[in-house]
Order: sequence, then structure tokens, then C-alpha cells
Amino acid sequence: MNVNIIETSGLGKRYGSTWVLRECSLAVPAGHVAALVGPNGAGKTTLLNLAVGLAAPTAGTVTVLGGLAAGSPAALDGIAFVAQDTPLYKNLSAAGMLHLTRNLNRRFDQPYAKARLGELGIPLNRRAGKLSGGQQAQLALTLALARRPRLLVLDEPVAMLDPLARHDFMALVLTAAADDGVSVLLSSHVLAELERVADYLILLSRGRVQVAGEVDDLIASHRVLTGPAAEADRYTERPLVHARRADAQAHLLVRATADDPVPPRWEAHPVGLEELAMAYLREPGAGALPGPARPAAGTSTRQR
Amino acid sequence: MVIDKGDGPAGGGAGASPAGGGLYSDQHLRVSDTEREAATGRLAEHFAAGRLDQAEFDDRVGRAMSARTRADLNGLFADLPETGSPAVPELPRGGGSTPGGGPRGPGSPIEFRLDAASGVPTYLQLVQQVEHALRLGYLTLGDQLPKVRDVVASLAINPNTVLKAYKELETKGLTAGRPGQGTFIQATLGQVALPELAGLHKSLLGWLTTAEAAGLDEDGIVALFASALRDFYKRRSGTGERRAARSGEAEGVA
Repeated sequence: MNVNIIETSGLGKRYGSTWVLRECSLAVPAGHVAALVGPNGAGKTTLLNLAVGLAAPTAGTVTVLGGLAAGSPAALDGIAFVAQDTPLYKNLSAAGMLHLTRNLNRRFDQPYAKARLGELGIPLNRRAGKLSGGQQAQLALTLALARRPRLLVLDEPVAMLDPLARHDFMALVLTAAADDGVSVLLSSHVLAELERVADYLILLSRGRVQVAGEVDDLIASHRVLTGPAAEADRYTERPLVHARRADAQAHLLVRATADDPVPPRWEAHPVGLEELAMAYLREPGAGALPGPARPAAGTSTRQR
Repeated sequence: MVIDKGDGPAGGGAGASPAGGGLYSDQHLRVSDTEREAATGRLAEHFAAGRLDQAEFDDRVGRAMSARTRADLNGLFADLPETGSPAVPELPRGGGSTPGGGPRGPGSPIEFRLDAASGVPTYLQLVQQVEHALRLGYLTLGDQLPKVRDVVASLAINPNTVLKAYKELETKGLTAGRPGQGTFIQATLGQVALPELAGLHKSLLGWLTTAEAAGLDEDGIVALFASALRDFYKRRSGTGERRAARSGEAEGVA
């Protein structure tokens, strides 16, 4: 399981004169549910499109499934991609979508797909466009999973879904991860849910990778220090990510572990994934790339 | 909407024959208003679960209210799964290779829940719930913990989180994994004997009375207790355990 399910090196993409992705170097090990987070226009969709071979890089390289060139036939065979807004042929019935997908792919697990749709209560004769939003998403996901991919790529899969449909959708994704060891790369705006879903975080900001690493490592290497605002500027022991201060009190999110000393009169708290991601999103200049197998390229600010 | 996760192996009832449920037999019999309303209620459940869109729902409710026979009513549900089964869809046991997977089997006596607002890491919540269930007797020696994929399916959480929790429980010596079968309880938590517990409770009440008399309110008392508890464990285990003691990570078992 030491292969990298996706690996990029100096990856860049330019549309016209605008770089939407730059110097992106990543190595996500297989067996993770990796979340790709970032503000609108950060380059998330571009990165996903490059990974699945829908776009060609302007600079650098991207490989998937342990070294296969993105977009090569072998890579396409092992990747399933559900684009934003769950694309389906709205006039085809669910059964028609099954038929189409089966005939367009080398591998398609028809019994799995049919059983899954049955369990989800999706009528096969209903036109895709007449299904509820949740059902359309489930249908698209089922079609993707029936291809038996090793990597499932989802672009904003739950953005349009209500909480219950979101839960059911993610349950299906994560069950596939539990059953078949499918690796997952998904982009999302819903930070609050990431903590339960993702065990690998990639934070993109202005076309650059700002944070990448296993969630446990990230959580373990960050602390919030709370103490007197007057002393906040004097704290230089560990790199500061983000500071929030009032007249008397300050909260500093720093890159420090539980073993790092806490200055007198200060208190250290563990930080949650959502708080951590928010802090980095507010500080596009800060970076943390503590992930394990980072490729040599790129500028590492690794401090562990 | 009622979310019935089926508290035990007996619950749920997915795949049960319609005989026991509220399905309408004797197709030609006339239906009463009560039955029409019940049918509407079930349609609402389907609608809430996203199996019907608004137009379809309105249409079917209209047909339900004007239904005359049970056959009319049944026709409304022909393409829908039975309700009464969990609103959270039953994910297939045993993957797609064995469709229909069958019942849950012996199953686990407990079911996990998550509190997103607690601030406690997800894996730790699972660990604590097992410990809690052990203390309260919901779990005893030989009981099986929920299967990883079942936890994943019902809570929509990362499988590695569940594995981490189960590993932690194993490290603590509370459970043991049996290859191909699952994870089972192999030790109970050192429970304090009841009389002793009562004594501790009583002395704590005495302390609480003193604390209140000194002018502390409930939050003040909690803060003071938490701070003292922290100091206690910090002193005992040296430095670096502050955070662990606070979040209950130190041992989970105090």
C-alpha cells in the first residue's frame, strides 16, 4: 500500500495568461479519503481535471495509481470521476444510464449497480431528470462505483444536497472505501463534515498547495495557545499560522505539538480540523506541508 | 421524520414479509379515511427520503385521497420500497458481490452515535462510548462490537477512524480482534464496587455543598473540578499530559 494514488510534481495549468494552478507538488498515499479544500477559484476543479486526464498540464507532471500517466488508458480504467452537478443524461431512464455506462466501459459490475439502485429505492424506469437531487447524485455515484475503480474522484459531490441525502451519499462513498479499499479524492466546501470523512487534507489557495498531509499529523502538529494579548508578539518559539487578538486576550494557532513547551500564563488547546482549515484559509501566506512522501521538487517548509 | 435505526437485531425489519406490516391485502376491499391518511403519511415519508419529487408526491397524495379500494392504494407504492424500514437506507451487507446480503446476523448490542458539537475527536467518541457501555453493562465479555463497515455505513465516517478506535480499544486490552469475524470484548473495565461508589458520591456531594456555600455557581464548580483534575493527573504523570488529561485521552478511564 505504499503507492501514491496521486502524485504531482511542479504541476501547473495556465488558461490564457492566467495561472490557475502553480508549482503544485503532492503525494497522496493510497487508502485515504483525501479532501481538497479551498476558496472558489483556488484551482480545485482544475487539479481534479488534471488528475483524471480531462485537462493537460501546462507545466510539471501528474501521475495516478502508482505512477501511471494521468489520462492514459490504464489510468482511465482505474479511476472513476463524478464531475460537479452530477452529470447524467436527463432524458435517459436509470436503466438506460446503466446500459450506456456498461457499454462505454471495459469493466462494469451490473449486478452491483442494480442491487445498489434497488436498495436506494431508485426506480429503474424513471427518467434521470425526474429523480430527486439526492437520487441523481446517488445514481451518478453508483455508476461510478460499478466501474470498480481504485480511485474515486468527486468534484463538490454534496454541495447541492440536503443533509440527509448528503449523509447517505457519503455513507455510500465511505462504505466503498471500507469494503474495497477504494481511495477517494473529493473537493468540498463543507468544512464541518470533513472531520468525520477525510483522513487526508489538501488545502489549495490561489492556485498553490498551502497545506497537505494526513489529518492526524496535522492535528497533532498544531495547537491553539490562549494568553495575554500583550505577550502575543513575543511568542516566537514555534511558527505562527494565524492570530486572533482582542485587547486583553489572544489566540494563536501555532505549529507545535503537545510536547512543545507552553509559555507561562498561556494555555494550549488541541485544534479541530475545521478550525485549522479556516485559519489557513485566512492566511494564504502560511503553509504546512508535513505529509510523508513528499517529492523532492517544490519548496518545502517542513518543520517537524 | 422518524429515523429508526433498529436498536437491536430484532429491529428494522427490512425484507420482512408484508403480512406483519401495514401493507394492504384484500385488494378489492373499500378503504376508509384512516387508511387514506395512513397512505398519505407513508407517501410523505418517501417524499422526505427523496424518493418522490414534489410533483410526484402531490399527484400521489391526490390519488390516495380519492382511492376507493386497497388495490388503488397499493398501486401508489408499487415502485417504492417498504417504509418502516430505516429511513437511513440499508446499505448492503457484504458488498455488492452478494446482493441482498441477508439479515445482520448476531450483530452488536450497541450502536454508535456522534456528537459533532462535543469537540471530542471522532475516534475518541467511539472509544468512550464502548467504555461507557462497558461500565453501564450494555456490553459484557464476548460481545461483538459493530462491524467496521456497518459503523461506516450508519455514521458516514472514514473507515480509518473506526479502525483507529478499535485499535485503541485493543491496545487498552478491552477488545480483541478475531480474524474474519470481528472485534469482541475481552475485558471489562475495572468497575468500582457499588458501596465504594456510593461513598465517593456522598463525599463529593459534601464537597459540592461547601463549594456552593463559598459562592461558586455550577459553571464555576465544573471549571474548578476540571482544573483540579488536570493538575492531579499532570502531577502524577509528569509534564506533557495536560492536553491528554483534559480531553480524556490520558486513559479514558479515570
